[in-house]
Amino acid sequence: MPWLIGRSLIRADDFAETLKGVSAARAVMFRRLLLICAGLIVVSVSLFALTAKEPRADFTYVNPSGIHTLDPARMSWTQDFRVALNIWEGLTTWDPKTLTPIEGAALFPPDISPDQLVYTFTIRENARWSNGDSLTAGDFIRGWRRGMEPGTATDYTFLFTDHIVGAAEYVRWRNEAVTLLTATPIDQTGFHESVLTSHGAELDARFDEVGLRAVDIRTLEVRLKRPCPYFLDLAAFPTFLPCHESTELLRERHHGLPITAEGLVVYDPQWTKPNYHRNDYPGLVTNGPYMLSDWTFKRRARFRVNPFYRAAEQIACRTIDMLEYDNISASIMAYETGDVDFLTDMSAPYDHEIARLYRSGERPDFHSCVLSATYFLSFNCVSPMVGGRSNPFVDRRIRKAFTLAVDRERIVENVLKRGDGVAHSFVPPDAIPGYVPPSGLRRDVNEAQRLLAEAGYAHGVGLGPVELLYVPNDERICQALARMWEEVLGIHVELRSQESKTFAEEKANQRFMIARGNWYADYNDPTTFLDCLGTGNGNNDSRYSNPRYDELLAAASLATQPSARAELLRLAESIIVEDDCPILPVLHYAQTLAIKPYVKGLYANARLWFPFRYVTVGRRDQRGSVLER
Amino acid sequence: MPGTKPRTKSWYITAASMIVLAGLLAASVGTLPLSRRWYNVQELAEAVRHPPSLRPIVSYEHYEKNPRFPTAARIAHYAVSWFGHDDLGRSLFYRVLPGFLVSLAIGLAAAMIAVAIGVTWGAAAALAGGRVDFIMMRFVDVLYGLPYILMVILLKVGLTRPLAILLGGHSRGTDIIILLLAIGGVSWLTMARVIRGQVLSLRGQAFVEAARACGAGAFHIFRRHLLPNLVGPIAVYATLVIPQAMLQESFLSFLGIGIQQPTPSLGRLAADGVQAVNTFVGYWWLIVFPCAVLVLTLMSLNFIGDGLRDAYDPKSKTVVLV
Amino acid sequence: MTARIIRRIIAGFITVACVYALTFIMVVSIPGNPFQSGARNMPPEAEQALRARYHMDNNWVYFGEFLAGAARLDFGPTFTYNEWTCNQIIASALPVSVLIGFLAILVALMVGVPLGVVGAVRRGGWLDAGGLALVLLGISLPTFVTGTALLTIFALFLRIAPVGGWGALAHLPLPVLTLSLPFVAYIARLTRVGMLDVLGSDFIRTALAKGLRPRTVVWKHALKPALLPVLSYLGPATAQAMTGSFVVEKVFGVPGIGQHFVNAALNRDPGLILSTVLVFAALLVAFNLLIDLVYAWVDPRISGAV
Repeated sequence: MPWLIGRSLIRADDFAETLKGVSAARAVMFRRLLLICAGLIVVSVSLFALTAKEPRADFTYVNPSGIHTLDPARMSWTQDFRVALNIWEGLTTWDPKTLTPIEGAALFPPDISPDQLVYTFTIRENARWSNGDSLTAGDFIRGWRRGMEPGTATDYTFLFTDHIVGAAEYVRWRNEAVTLLTATPIDQTGFHESVLTSHGAELDARFDEVGLRAVDIRTLEVRLKRPCPYFLDLAAFPTFLPCHESTELLRERHHGLPITAEGLVVYDPQWTKPNYHRNDYPGLVTNGPYMLSDWTFKRRARFRVNPFYRAAEQIACRTIDMLEYDNISASIMAYETGDVDFLTDMSAPYDHEIARLYRSGERPDFHSCVLSATYFLSFNCVSPMVGGRSNPFVDRRIRKAFTLAVDRERIVENVLKRGDGVAHSFVPPDAIPGYVPPSGLRRDVNEAQRLLAEAGYAHGVGLGPVELLYVPNDERICQALARMWEEVLGIHVELRSQESKTFAEEKANQRFMIARGNWYADYNDPTTFLDCLGTGNGNNDSRYSNPRYDELLAAASLATQPSARAELLRLAESIIVEDDCPILPVLHYAQTLAIKPYVKGLYANARLWFPFRYVTVGRRDQRGSVLER
Repeated sequence: MPGTKPRTKSWYITAASMIVLAGLLAASVGTLPLSRRWYNVQELAEAVRHPPSLRPIVSYEHYEKNPRFPTAARIAHYAVSWFGHDDLGRSLFYRVLPGFLVSLAIGLAAAMIAVAIGVTWGAAAALAGGRVDFIMMRFVDVLYGLPYILMVILLKVGLTRPLAILLGGHSRGTDIIILLLAIGGVSWLTMARVIRGQVLSLRGQAFVEAARACGAGAFHIFRRHLLPNLVGPIAVYATLVIPQAMLQESFLSFLGIGIQQPTPSLGRLAADGVQAVNTFVGYWWLIVFPCAVLVLTLMSLNFIGDGLRDAYDPKSKTVVLV
Repeated sequence: MTARIIRRIIAGFITVACVYALTFIMVVSIPGNPFQSGARNMPPEAEQALRARYHMDNNWVYFGEFLAGAARLDFGPTFTYNEWTCNQIIASALPVSVLIGFLAILVALMVGVPLGVVGAVRRGGWLDAGGLALVLLGISLPTFVTGTALLTIFALFLRIAPVGGWGALAHLPLPVLTLSLPFVAYIARLTRVGMLDVLGSDFIRTALAKGLRPRTVVWKHALKPALLPVLSYLGPATAQAMTGSFVVEKVFGVPGIGQHFVNAALNRDPGLILSTVLVFAALLVAFNLLIDLVYAWVDPRISGAV
């Protein structure tokens, strides 16, 4: 406001002169202005206060970061999985205690051919959508197809292309067409249109070549490329959920073709909303134990029991509230005051105190378990220079030396004190039945120093400063690691903390020497971890490439005997954790949950899978105290 | 009669603020040789989040690194646990004091950057006049229209790579420079306006006319005639921008993109302390000590700024706004 | 007068347009992939498909498209939240922030103006210095400290306020109080300076010499001109208060719009950054214009003077 300075130079005396001549009418108007303001306050505040209050849901839990997306083909966060798997139901689900696949919308176990390549699922007769429609095999094919089509698919397309016959070819054909169509401008020549039309005409024919077939309205046949011992586990994963046909109403069409002008399959993203009715869309239709009845941005989602679910009467909690609390401390406070019944995440800066309360038994409502997840450091195995400095980690002896110098027990027990599991291997032990990971490297100071000397940097002399890239959350771990390397190897470690997007950018462009990483198991098989370090894998941050390792993984994928397969995978993993050390596994996350004592039916498990249909809540009064069991 | 009494009491307060600030400075600078080595000494076994105590709870071996002055080191060692320990077992006493220096330095540097850019911009606009002046001040208006928070984050995030390349790789220094540029880059706007106003009013005065008649160039006029008259508002403004810059740094630390660990700064320490607040155990020392020093510093700076403004021009209406 | 208003409105539009252009430049030059969330790397085909879908591969096209959409008040999609458009986000968050900001400014006025007046009248006394010191506390502590302190005292220890959240009347006082503290400090100081200046002028001396009671002189005659600097400050202050404070929203769990400024910047979400910036700039221009009009109405000498 440039006029401000000018005004300030006007003397108040002159102003007062004018003021004397100001009429009384002005003063009256001033007063009226004040009254209007006061009225506005009263109105706005009272409007706010008088919004109708709903009764509290039977069960309330907290989702700290909120729902990122409810589209099963696009979700990748555990919290979203939790919601999706409670409102939809796949062919199989997971047992809440043991996490083994159990019956879902299809009869269990399905019919598996002797060569384990053909799975035939029979959908139950009483499986229905929340609007009463019967669940059909076509619904599953529609849902699975969304997981493969460009435009809807994101992170988990590989689950289809790796296993199902013809899926990889279909996806490649589609992506090539999209690339071509995007590069071709829409102009007068009609070239774009002709390509689009011919592509669109072939869509269904090409998709028929994929190994998915609806034998009849309730029978789905899946043909696999090679035996997959964990396919039933995969079938419970959110990407494999069915999709109701009403979503076709919200599909974008271009000149009658079910694809956009770029060849993408695009649905109106609002299809997951319960109250969205464009094009006569009935709102979100799901087939799980619950249905979404309300969803307010950044505040709350409410579920209620799906009346058409096959076991609807047995479900105790008829309504469930999912609250969003951006601040974990606030959600813990809300739990303490009784506003919330269940916390899935208590990872606050004082989590060691929480872990202590759990261990000492002072808080029997806290439950802790080690997850099927690993926190590790990636070494940059390929770039000789990083940020103008030489990157020593191209030499595997130095990687191994750094690995041997770390005292993981001290980090887990003294620094973090959260009850995490010490990780000597990439795959968590006891996580996958039938698989025992290799023992890995234990701390060996002498060997570490010897290796360092052998690489030419005895006592760390000559090795320039080494950079450790991490995000602010890992502060304590990385500080402790830096001190350990300094003490044992005599090497100065520079800590570089970046916020998450910058961190991801730097990591993706190989601008790091050591970077933090973590991985949560997607399915119950070692390959969910081990595939990450295969040559060319999109999640192979260290760009590690070892043909022997790839060979072993390929051989394991062809093995039919479970024990032989486990042995091959173990051999492969031992290359990673004992010989080449492209990653440094540090710990397996522990998660502490808070479950109110009057809530039953929730069990701490390694995948944080909580089906809410088994939950029962004893009655309580207004403030959340238990009235009766 | 109200308004015409001599201001003895506020003068005392300004003087007291200067003493407080000087005392903090003396304490921090005095302990700097120690805190420079001891700010990151971690004790991961016993001292983690230990409440303050008069006697040190961390053994002497962790800290003793100066064989030349063993007695002095022993005495200094006594202060280790006075403010308690943080979550890595580091001494809060030897983090708060250098933290004060870091925060103050950031405030000063950001204020200097803001003053440099603001004075140049405002004076240039006022001296150029006409269309150039109009465009320059509209640019300031446009920048005012950007939400500060967004600007700082985007600047910080956007400058990280180019500056790293420019300065040859990442280092702690690079991060601090980026932070200074981001904070200074959004604080110069009001300065530009104030200076422009002052230069505009000075430009019409007789002595400037005389200088121009003698054939002096614009730059010469600015340096010799205008600048001495601008020292007043600059000083006033600078002492009021320093607290703002320190608060902005603390906000950025709260977001996680401010000063990076292990460098302590008052804002960083306060943010860490606040995040440690919980319903189970009280870690009051993690908040109280950094915030006490922060409050003392900022209030002192504000009082000094008020005192400066009173001294410079008691009837000054150049009210400095955010 | 009308011509001035129209000129100001046009100037406002131009300002907003320049703000948009500047933000756009910043948004497309900073690194970071808006489509990636979480630790997994997105396969290149998926990313390319998304970019093509949202016309993000060509910056000029995006510039024009977004502007065209904004003219229709359709701010397009956001990549951070798949199911919510920028319109829905702003529509749900802006009223919350407006309410809190408005109340915060009111509280700041109700507390700051009397404090400033008292400080000016009792200038040099302990009341002046003491009041100023108290008020300075608001700008001497970061907001996250004051907010957490109030939350701990009132929600945890005394249990008379809810822990946070939104939806009931009880959720209002603490965030409003926390947000108002910095404004109280500035308003008090501005009032004090303005008052000091007015009190030294001739017409006040005349009024007192005429025998009017000091209280009448101060509150009825001196206050209005003294409030001029406060009035000018109110423009940007209200806009700033209404576009929320990230810290207040984070500490008290209020679903306002401040968090979207910060999160959009941290997530590199171009649609959300641009739309929130446009909203902020529009509010700022609107409030400045409003204050201008009030100022001109209050003092007819000002209209026309620059």
